Amino acid sequence: MISELKDPRKTFGEAIIEAAAINPNIVVLSADSSAGSGLGDFPKKFPDRHFEFGIMEQGVTGFASGLATTGKIPVFAAIAPFVTARNFEMFRNDLGYMNQNVKVIGRCAGLTYDQLGPTHHSIDDVAIIRTIPGVTIINPGDPVTIKKAVHAIIKHVGPCYMKIGNQKMPVLYEEDIDYRLGKGIVIREGGDVALIGTGTVLSKVIAAAKLLEESGVSVRIIDIHTIKPLDRELILSAAREIGKIVTVEEHFIAGGLGSAISEICSQEYPVKMKMIGIGDHYASNGPYEELLGKYGLQPDQIKETVIKFLDNK
Amino acid sequence: MDKREILKLEYIALDIRRDILRLIRAGEAGHSGGALSSVEILTALFFNLLHIDPENPKWPDRDRFVLSAGHKCLVLYAALAERGFFDKSVLDTYGALDSRIPGHPNMHKLPGVETNTGALGHGLSIAGGMAIGLRLDKSPAKVYVLMGDGELAEGSNWEAASASAMHKLDNLIVFVDRNKLQISGPTIEVMSYEPLDERWRSFGWSVRIIDGHDLEAIIRNVKHAPFEKGKPSVIIADTLKSKGLSFAEGKVSYHYWKAKPEEMEQAEHDLDNIEKQLKAKMESIGL
Repeated sequence: MISELKDPRKTFGEAIIEAAAINPNIVVLSADSSAGSGLGDFPKKFPDRHFEFGIMEQGVTGFASGLATTGKIPVFAAIAPFVTARNFEMFRNDLGYMNQNVKVIGRCAGLTYDQLGPTHHSIDDVAIIRTIPGVTIINPGDPVTIKKAVHAIIKHVGPCYMKIGNQKMPVLYEEDIDYRLGKGIVIREGGDVALIGTGTVLSKVIAAAKLLEESGVSVRIIDIHTIKPLDRELILSAAREIGKIVTVEEHFIAGGLGSAISEICSQEYPVKMKMIGIGDHYASNGPYEELLGKYGLQPDQIKETVIKFLDNK
Repeated sequence: MDKREILKLEYIALDIRRDILRLIRAGEAGHSGGALSSVEILTALFFNLLHIDPENPKWPDRDRFVLSAGHKCLVLYAALAERGFFDKSVLDTYGALDSRIPGHPNMHKLPGVETNTGALGHGLSIAGGMAIGLRLDKSPAKVYVLMGDGELAEGSNWEAASASAMHKLDNLIVFVDRNKLQISGPTIEVMSYEPLDERWRSFGWSVRIIDGHDLEAIIRNVKHAPFEKGKPSVIIADTLKSKGLSFAEGKVSYHYWKAKPEEMEQAEHDLDNIEKQLKAKMESIGL
């Protein structure tokens, strides 16, 4: 693992500016949210392509839909719950049902707005947006794949939802990683258990796998950066070849990555599964790393959960 | 405006009302009240004002029409069919499985439909986005929106109203079909929006109030839009719900009409009477 830390929002903003320099159709819509999303420089570089709306995420979603009907590629980045839960019906009807080429970015997602509590946590966004037909959902696990994802969603025609955190993230991949929407990445091969992670906690998954290897457990690490459409073949091959799957996500267990994987496996190749995430309660507040620890998302905790799961025959 | 031209449009409005009956006959029921109150608005738009081409429905510089009050779709289907966007036989499929004309419009199913509306309070934001996009492209096209007055209680409309004024969208023209009724009763008793003109003005819009059944007034006012440079325009169109059906006009209970056979017969008779009046008018101007 490469240990350099990068700010996900800064990385995202730089990638959008890079893409906008090439593609004149990219426009940015702000709900008083561009600067906080790493897009502070966008209006300086492209003043005619940046539109400020103030704090009105429902309305901005509709404006984005309308702009897309004229061939623009609207990018709308704001705090994750406000671009998924608050405006859900606008997302569903104006972007999903109308099949508009709009890119919605939920930032400070998961528990990364640690101290601000459940109104600002976004641990249900995957569950709710996953119900909208035709929406691509991306949850990158490191700065390299954030940048790759930005270019991929701009190239992809159709509505996309991408979530990023706000805590600095370690670089996990080389720049030349083969990144494709809808294709998971096998980070390491192994035969005792498939450990499948996504987004902000991917680095924890990799660290947990290392601890497991030290204890003699062989782990296949899979990064599912695209939660929808899910890489069915990769999931089913893990089910067939290993037969034991543990999912790890900074999200409710209800409706997230683990649910999506179990929807495939339970119907096509049932295997034992364990889902690590947040249960049926509002998350607490506090320092980010401590919050992850409260919900069993630190490497040593993931390791213990996996060992218990493997022992429980 | 030329009297003959107005009379021609009045005949088209009658045809559209007859098409609405045709739709109701096919589906056995539908949101007829608000469709009938906005017949003249759509007649003026689709047969005089809009720069559109049924042969090329995706023409980039076409004017856009957004039906924010999606439940008024019967009048949109009738107007599009009359204008030649699709064969009128499609109207007979209303209510059928997989029909191209659902109870709320679907842009993927039918040419000429610009948006998927139905949930209230969405159309104005989408139209605002279209207006910004067209302005970026330096297009002469305008964006027209039809809203219901009951719909104005949705807060999302006022987000869109603020933003449209802030972004100076003077290529955006909104009609409020003020038929003054909604499902539960008179709109100002359910949730008052008065003073409606002052409300829009305070949001930065330029406002006119007209008789929404006066074709000449609709056309004259739209031709003057934008009413003020740099401001979006709203036309508050005072109308009568279920206009044209003697037994239903101005009655709350006909917001959604499940047509009894005797009512349908009466409705046809009412429209025949309108035709007689138009004939008399035609003779009086020497045609």
